[in-house]
Amino acid sequence: MAAGLSQEEPVNRRQFLRGGLRVAAMTGVGALVGALAGRSATDGTVWQIDPARCLRCGQCATECVLEQSAVKCVHTHAICGYCELCTGYFVPDPNALNTGAENQLCPTAAIRRKYVEDPYYEYTIDENLCIGCGKCVEGCNRFGNGSLYLQIRHDRCLNCNECSIARVCPGDAIHRVPARHPYLLKTTVSH
Amino acid sequence: MKRRAHTFLVGLWTWLAAAGVAGAEQRFPPPDFESGYQLPVTQTPAPRAEWLQYFDVLVLLIALGLACHLILRKRSRAGVVGLSLFSLLYFGFYREGCICAIGSVQNVALALFDRSYALPVTVLVFCLVPIVFSLVVGRAFCAAVCPHGALQDLVLLKPVKVPAWLEHALGVLPYLYLGAGVMFAATGSAFLICRYDPFVPLFRLSGSVLMLTTGAAFVVLGMFVGRPYCRFVCPYGALLRLGALVARWRVRVTPDFCTQCQLCEHSCPFGAMREPTAPAANPAAQSADRRRLGWLLLLLPVLIAAGAWLGGKLSVPLSRLDPNVALAEKFLDPRKAAPLPGVQTPQSLALGRAEDNPKELLAAAAAARQKFAAASWLFGGWVGLVIGVKLIGLSLRVARTDFEPDRGACFGCARCFSFCPNERVRLGLQPAPANLPAPAAVAATAASVPPAKPA
Amino acid sequence: MPAAARTTSPASAASTAVLHRALVNVVVMASLFCVIVGSAFLIRYWRAKAEDPLKSPQAIALKDRLRNEPRNEQLKQQIRELDLALRRQYFRHLAFSHTGGWLLVGGLAVLILSGRQAARLRAQPPLPALKTDAEKRAARTAALARWAVAGVALATGAGFLALSLSAKSTLPDRPQDLAKSLAKLSGEGGPDLADLPKPAEFRANWPRFLGPDGNACVTNFTLPTEINLTNGTGVAWKTAVPLLGFGSPIVWSNQVFLSGATMTNRAVFCFDAATGALVWQRPVTNVPGSPAQPLEIPDSTGYAAPTMATDGRRVFAWFGNGDLAAFTLAGAPVWAKSLGVPKNMYGHATSLACWQGRLIVQFDQGEPEEGKSRLYALDSASGRVLWQKSRPVGASWATPIVADAAGKPQIITLGGKWVIAYAAKDGTELWRFQGLNGEVTPSPIFAAGLVFVISPSDQLFAIRPDGFGDVTKTHQAWASDENVPDITSPVSDGELVFTAASSGLATCFDTKDGKKLWEQDLESEINASPVLAAGRLIVITKKGTLIVAAAAREFKLIAKAELRENVLASPALVANHLFVRTTKSLICLGAKAGTLEVKR
Repeated sequence: MAAGLSQEEPVNRRQFLRGGLRVAAMTGVGALVGALAGRSATDGTVWQIDPARCLRCGQCATECVLEQSAVKCVHTHAICGYCELCTGYFVPDPNALNTGAENQLCPTAAIRRKYVEDPYYEYTIDENLCIGCGKCVEGCNRFGNGSLYLQIRHDRCLNCNECSIARVCPGDAIHRVPARHPYLLKTTVSH
Repeated sequence: MKRRAHTFLVGLWTWLAAAGVAGAEQRFPPPDFESGYQLPVTQTPAPRAEWLQYFDVLVLLIALGLACHLILRKRSRAGVVGLSLFSLLYFGFYREGCICAIGSVQNVALALFDRSYALPVTVLVFCLVPIVFSLVVGRAFCAAVCPHGALQDLVLLKPVKVPAWLEHALGVLPYLYLGAGVMFAATGSAFLICRYDPFVPLFRLSGSVLMLTTGAAFVVLGMFVGRPYCRFVCPYGALLRLGALVARWRVRVTPDFCTQCQLCEHSCPFGAMREPTAPAANPAAQSADRRRLGWLLLLLPVLIAAGAWLGGKLSVPLSRLDPNVALAEKFLDPRKAAPLPGVQTPQSLALGRAEDNPKELLAAAAAARQKFAAASWLFGGWVGLVIGVKLIGLSLRVARTDFEPDRGACFGCARCFSFCPNERVRLGLQPAPANLPAPAAVAATAASVPPAKPA
Repeated sequence: MPAAARTTSPASAASTAVLHRALVNVVVMASLFCVIVGSAFLIRYWRAKAEDPLKSPQAIALKDRLRNEPRNEQLKQQIRELDLALRRQYFRHLAFSHTGGWLLVGGLAVLILSGRQAARLRAQPPLPALKTDAEKRAARTAALARWAVAGVALATGAGFLALSLSAKSTLPDRPQDLAKSLAKLSGEGGPDLADLPKPAEFRANWPRFLGPDGNACVTNFTLPTEINLTNGTGVAWKTAVPLLGFGSPIVWSNQVFLSGATMTNRAVFCFDAATGALVWQRPVTNVPGSPAQPLEIPDSTGYAAPTMATDGRRVFAWFGNGDLAAFTLAGAPVWAKSLGVPKNMYGHATSLACWQGRLIVQFDQGEPEEGKSRLYALDSASGRVLWQKSRPVGASWATPIVADAAGKPQIITLGGKWVIAYAAKDGTELWRFQGLNGEVTPSPIFAAGLVFVISPSDQLFAIRPDGFGDVTKTHQAWASDENVPDITSPVSDGELVFTAASSGLATCFDTKDGKKLWEQDLESEINASPVLAAGRLIVITKKGTLIVAAAAREFKLIAKAELRENVLASPALVANHLFVRTTKSLICLGAKAGTLEVKR
């Protein structure tokens, strides 16, 4: 152990250096906290699609890290025209206005069509089937009232640090919104 | 009509949460129903409750404290494995890798450079607490709290020894990655570290095929190379390594004195064990060492300057990772392919958006480019600094008397303890040889860890 | 842990060996399982993301068939069954990836656990040899490591250098230069002209409505001496046109282009100029911005009234619903867009013009107060708007011309009350002349240094195009109110101006002073603008009578021929062949196939 004893002094010098650096690092962390504490937010944020900017490119269905995208079509019924020929439900130039697969636009038959009263039909989304491809949204926005639109569903979204759909969104429509108001729903202008 | 107004009020109340998105032009007026039909209300499932985030912080703090206790006091590999399993299940498979200290560095960097970015408190805590712990007790976070580390540690099957020189060289990479991650985050263009995280897709069992494959490759590699991501990639581990270098306490293999049996060196799958070396006795060798050190010290500013110069040239290519810059470049390209009629690709849609408001896009792109003009030479300088400091570090001769883990490289996995004959004696697993101090004395010294001083 | 392999008795050694073998088997099985499940997971994962049930080629084929047989109930049933199967499969894929993932995790856990156990059974207690010269080895490692770090540094540096090679960017580095690149984008630099044909080539072809410069006058042309549709004398070929359209044919090299449309279908046709064979036809569908609801347009104008135009590399067609489409000469789609649905009570009819890689689009619509009328210059290669100007006019039907007048290229437009000339380069307004009224349909021409414009059924003006600002009072050379047409455009050989009114009255004026030299009643309604071919005035009446008269100071009838179909479009004159679009077909008058030669 003689060697160890002879090393006593440099070890101490090294320890001193180490202690100094440690104090400096701690101070740095403290400074960081000081600098950022004022600006940090206690309430979180979540990702959401701004329907006004959405271009219905269809990438929400494919780019989400979840296998079945957290983006789903939602329906604001107050805007819906309850059309018999719903351009969000039917393919262009449908064979007949019925629920036959050959007439449906939705790849997964996630839209349910229900007769309400003549000549109105109610359309609702089955979110378990919806893959967020936005085909119906395109149809509804292009030719109809635009009552169908895409939203990130927060019961599914993992709230990734960097949303992989936002990264490729051609409309730059996906941004973080306060978690207390996590949806950007379409509403009618005051009636 | 009254009924309808009522429905509408209910609707409005629900939608109050949302910022009023202007109603689209209503080509087809909403009908007035006569059959008493009630408008369905749009469902809005709530995001994960806020308090659960604070619960995550609590779990982190408890797990870190427990890790310190298990590594330094209990010196229990079984405990560390158990905690690793818990962390893998909680932070990994349950929280699906997203609240994560590794990625949080980027958020902190972004918050430092972008005043408008509100950094969630929990993210700040997740970023800083493991660093503070590393300054006190070393890499307890890597040992048993980080799900990435836990996964790699648990899948380790038959470790292959990576040559020390290669380990040193590859050990530079995490710092370069850290620099790049901070640069891209600080410019607000990308969270590189999150994007290319190989394990989070595994925890989620979904993700891009590329990253799933990369993750699988890392797992398979991790069966034969101890913690490949932690050692050669992880940018947060790089930070913790720096912290551990100056930590107050450290992992010591032997509870009292080292018998130089080399068993601990054999036990470490991460190449972290250092053998004892005497200080150079030969004055000639010493002076050669000193001369080299002098030259390398002189080289450091040169390397930094060269890196900064070279990095400065990268501002344009690097800025292309910013979506605005990438789109603006495509938009301004005179030879861009005209969009095919009737085929709406995401790219043509993006270009259409650019065409609608080129000023806004170009302004954003130019601002990002400006940021990169500053960030890229800083990044280059950082690369030069890392290389220079590493070279200097490799030229410093450290004298050791005992086998001990390298302060920075040791993850604190607690594997080596049970290999140490003195530890086994302390635990009563094998009898003390006659020429050793009495077990009682050993126990007394062992109780005083950390750190146990050689008698 | 070294504790495991310390069994000594032979019996337990044998059982250890058995256990070890079993564990190794488990490891092998687990690895196999992981590899299989893992690859299945990845493959299915990849496929489920890439495919949704709508993309199945089988379903697409069935749906295509259904379009042709809309009443085939059996087919519908088939589609429904297939759709159900596909959707089931799709969601099975999704479910599999989830369970597959967990299976993989389980398999991996078994693999790791059994592998470790096996390794532990075989673990030899480490017997490290005594190592000396630690210092020397440390020094050697450090030296090697330094070189390795230097290698990493070099590799990084090389990577940076390689990356910096791609530093050229279209985005300027300094924000100040942004305005410049924006200006460049809006056409100040202009489109790339390198690959466009030379002006002489334009002169030799018929690239737009009423010929290369909009004044339908060719100097070198031989008409067949006799034309007889019954026995085919003087007729090179005649081909049916699949879709109706009142736009005139355009000719480039050996191709004739036409557009046609109904309320729901729009298409562009390309015919072989030598044989009349239909070379290609392309539907114009899915145009971004195209109106969803079919537009009602009166039959008198139809859905394809605008004549196409070509820049020599691409052809452009504009339709009554506002769809604007570009194709290569070979028929590949280049771009398509809608500049808006024209608001026009009679239907949109203004034709297109090309100038130096720009497509000039005069889009007049609605009422003047609405401010909806625009003049656009689009990059003909991309359809990008290079510049646009608001026009103070309502709907009009006249086609603009681009003329090198008074030393500068001018776009001369008619609409509402105004004749307005714009600089072709950037759309700056040069001069305007008030004097039009009514529904402006005849197009302007430029000849003998003068711009001739017609205010329908009202006046024929000759305007000097060298003014600035409002030139109504200062630059009118002359005006005449005799027999002024309401639909057709005038034509001039530089010495004389001819008009042919829809009433059937043909008139000749002197370009110098506007003096009427003669008038002649052709006794038939005329909708197509007259053309001049080497001293002959050619008029085709609505009933399809081709009348050839001398283009001289005195009227002299030279020939008459019956095309036996109604004609509303102006003919195209290229290389001694006359291309006439009737309401049903496209007729090429001139020598028979094989002799057609287009001058380059």
